[in-house]
Amino acid sequence: MPRPVIFGFGTLALLLAVVAWRISDSSSSEPPFDPKIQLPQAAPLCPWREPASDLKQFFPNATRYEPETRILSGQRLELVGRLGRVPTGDENALHIYRCYENLTPLGAVSTRRVKGTYGAIELVLAVGADGQVRGLRVQRLREPEPIADALLNPGWLRTFEGLRSDSSWKIGGDIADVVPEARASAEAIADGARSLMILLATSDESDARPPVAARHH
Amino acid sequence: MLLLAFRNLVRRPLRSALAVSGLASALAVFACLLAFGHGYRRALSAESDRMGLQMMLVPLGCPYDAAARVLKGKSLENSLPESALEASRRDPAVAIAAPILMAATPRPDQGRADMWVGLDETALALKPWWRVKAGKPWFPDDDSVILGCDAAEVEMRAPGDRLHSPETGQELRVAGVLERSGTSDDSLFFVPLRTAQRMFGQENRLTAVAIRLRDPALLREASERLQGVPGAQIVTPTEMMGTFLNLVGAVRTLLFSIVLVAMAVGVLGVFNTLLAAVVERTNELSVMRAFGASRSQIGCLITTEALLLTGAGSAVGILLAMVGGHGIEKVVKQFVPLAPTEPLLTLTAWTLAQCVGVGALAGVVAGLYPAWRASRLPPAEASKAE
Repeated sequence: MPRPVIFGFGTLALLLAVVAWRISDSSSSEPPFDPKIQLPQAAPLCPWREPASDLKQFFPNATRYEPETRILSGQRLELVGRLGRVPTGDENALHIYRCYENLTPLGAVSTRRVKGTYGAIELVLAVGADGQVRGLRVQRLREPEPIADALLNPGWLRTFEGLRSDSSWKIGGDIADVVPEARASAEAIADGARSLMILLATSDESDARPPVAARHH
Repeated sequence: MLLLAFRNLVRRPLRSALAVSGLASALAVFACLLAFGHGYRRALSAESDRMGLQMMLVPLGCPYDAAARVLKGKSLENSLPESALEASRRDPAVAIAAPILMAATPRPDQGRADMWVGLDETALALKPWWRVKAGKPWFPDDDSVILGCDAAEVEMRAPGDRLHSPETGQELRVAGVLERSGTSDDSLFFVPLRTAQRMFGQENRLTAVAIRLRDPALLREASERLQGVPGAQIVTPTEMMGTFLNLVGAVRTLLFSIVLVAMAVGVLGVFNTLLAAVVERTNELSVMRAFGASRSQIGCLITTEALLLTGAGSAVGILLAMVGGHGIEKVVKQFVPLAPTEPLLTLTAWTLAQCVGVGALAGVVAGLYPAWRASRLPPAEASKAE
């Protein structure tokens, strides 16, 4: 039998074999793989809901912003020291928006969801190029009226301005005090903002450091 | 004969390959459509069984829209009086009648809405997938809330935490968090029925009543009786399924007409290949006639070539459907109403047999004229050409 014929029949036989295998595979009654161990699920990312008005408020001269994701798993030990606790799974990566006036960097904006007393509280934190808090906004919360009023008070939010990652971040100290019922949520906000500042500072410092080979040299 | 036909085709591999690929793509889409239609019907039926209910009492209006909105966890604009629930429970054919009140608190600035669902304990019998990941499986008091797992993640709530609804001013305590079910329950806030009615100012009002019958065979008589409830109408999952299948059927008809055009192009490709081969091989075929080959033998040779081409096209098309079918399914699922979560594309032996049959028919149709023309060649043509 000539070679092309053998080749042709061989190819057809192979195709039919694949078809037969797929049919038997799809009709198999074996249950799908069901792992017994459930991995912890990370909380969903906090979106930046009003970038235009936030930029206008925090960086009025900004002409553009660029999203950036920094991986911080390499700085885990340093983060443990600076945060004073083990970083959460979400803190292995930092999502920031670098803000520019044309080509000049003005600072960065980052968002975070923190656990308030009555629901999640979403923060927008603006940090200047000098590493100080430029502004803080609560973009969403579920707290009841007296607590919400205290947390949304512009005067209280302004007390965050100028804080650095190594500030004390104490309510009643660096940050103005609030009514007692709002204290737990206020502390969650302060802790969330501080964590963001530390993550950002750690990320920027690791960039500024020369590579290991250059340091040895 | 088969060997000779095969050798004739491989003499012009590019032309043959083009004819095969044209037919293969048309057959691949055809196979996907057949498999998808079958899979959709099966999956929809399975989902309907999993719902655990046989009918739904909804307010007057478009019943299919209402039922689809309730099943998808969306609120309705009008509501039922609570007397509809009592009427359902009094019906001798009804085993379980579970009241549902759904309400949305829109948050346009966030591009989302909180969906609240009020239930009483009868709902548990109709929600076999209801499993708690943490906390209690039911509301310990009127101020409790059970969260779907996505809702709990977004609100960062765990059992024992407090939750406030700013729009209604209601303060609640999280009793439990549900396991992920893959249904719309994952993003819902469940509260006791009375609490939901109070929160949304809907005292003695319901969005729907989900009904399970003592015997599914009683469906017709029960639905006739319950149609009489003032302000309410009955929708059955079977009716909904029929509507969705009609919708899918309309889309399928459109797609089948596109496949028909593609098939026609494929058949024309095969026809063109064979006709060109007959014209080019006039001399050769006449010599065969001169050496004693009958008209039917020549016709049979060309038909065999056509069948070989379409056979290869069918095999490649089926293979393409198997490889690329799941990609097509992902795209199609986005446009299908109430798309079931399980895989829809199941290529059965019957589907494949239909594809092979259509391929063979295409081969016969495409080879008919070239075979007739070849068989008409007189043996004298051989000497003329020489």
